[in-house]
Amino acid sequence: MRKYLGLLITLIVMNTDLFAAEAGMPQLDPTYWASQAFWLILVFTILYISISKFYLPKIKNNLDDRENKIKEDLENANKFKEQSDAKLKEYESILENAKKEVSKIHFESKNILDKDIQSKKKIIEKEIEEEIQKAQKEIAEIKKNSVTSIQSISENIASNIIEKISGDKLNESSIKATVNDISKQKIGKYL
Amino acid sequence: MASNPMQQFTVHKIGPEIKIGGLDLSFTNASLFMVISTSVILFFLFLGSKEKKIIPNKIQLIAEMFYTFVAKMISDTAGSKAKPFFPFIFSLFMFVLSCNMIGMLPYSFTVTSHIIVTLILALFIFIAVTVIGFIKHGFKYLSIFVPSGVPAILLPLITIIEIISYLSRPVSLSVRLFANMMAGHTMLKVFGGFVVSLGLLGGWLPLSFSVALTGLEILVAFLQAYVFAILTCIYLNDALNLHH
Repeated sequence: MRKYLGLLITLIVMNTDLFAAEAGMPQLDPTYWASQAFWLILVFTILYISISKFYLPKIKNNLDDRENKIKEDLENANKFKEQSDAKLKEYESILENAKKEVSKIHFESKNILDKDIQSKKKIIEKEIEEEIQKAQKEIAEIKKNSVTSIQSISENIASNIIEKISGDKLNESSIKATVNDISKQKIGKYL
Repeated sequence: MASNPMQQFTVHKIGPEIKIGGLDLSFTNASLFMVISTSVILFFLFLGSKEKKIIPNKIQLIAEMFYTFVAKMISDTAGSKAKPFFPFIFSLFMFVLSCNMIGMLPYSFTVTSHIIVTLILALFIFIAVTVIGFIKHGFKYLSIFVPSGVPAILLPLITIIEIISYLSRPVSLSVRLFANMMAGHTMLKVFGGFVVSLGLLGGWLPLSFSVALTGLEILVAFLQAYVFAILTCIYLNDALNLHH
């Protein structure tokens, strides 16, 4: 919009009073055109040279440096990440091995212990058996002994009873024979 | 004097008269503001590039933003072939922007509101682009006036229109910037004058307009610098990458 307004003003001024700065636009007064052109070219050349020779390379350097630094840092970060990943894998494998070893050791020691227990059990069982046998023997002996002692005791008792009842002393050999006979019949009941 | 809104555009001599070969090359207020604009740019760029920091400070950040902004503008419109012209486009953009912005300060002078200044810039761009086009493509550069895919009957007409539009490039480029700057400043001045003449009672309305216009003008100042630079890029693109 304003562009056309400006154009309109320009055209009006051009048509009416071209070179009259007082009445219209000072822009169309050519008195200082040469001066403006001269100073514009001078100043802009200086600006262009100092920008293109000093400032832009400097800013570009700065930007490039930053970009490189970021790239480098990213690369380093990636490298470190890879390293840490590798280390993690290593750690995991070590852990796995250790677990395996632990289970192996566990298994082996269990086996050894089992064997040990088994052998000790056997030995102890043997010992127990022996003891039992010994005891049984002893028992048998005692039984035997007891039979004879019972017989003699019963002979005594019998002779004593007969003596007390009848007042006579019975023949010892006959008592013995009777007791022996009875005990042979009945002893199985008690032993 | 204050009532004439065109008063602000008058050029007057500062210091002694310099005459070389019959031309009056005196230092004027226009020259002064060209020097000021350039100094501002150079000082800003000096501050922006003096310290080499990985993490930039504010001025460095702004300078680098301008750099990447212009670099992106060129690569987007003119491609990688335009890289050698980056310093020129950057200087042009910074110069026009600085002149426009400094012109927004009260009592200052807007260098770009003078047709002669914008015309010289535009003519330089036009001639340079044409020369670059002929250097790069020889006489094949003339094919820019003959667009492909046009019916044979229309071709002479289209070619004439293309030639006219090509030749009017410096005019449109210069007048666009000059007229925008002049119209904006004139309008600001007119509304400023209304504020004074309407006084305390009715002056508030034009004052608020003035405030709004100032914001608009700052936008226009940036936008016109951008348009000037991007049109230069587009013209450069036509010369570098010949295709239609």
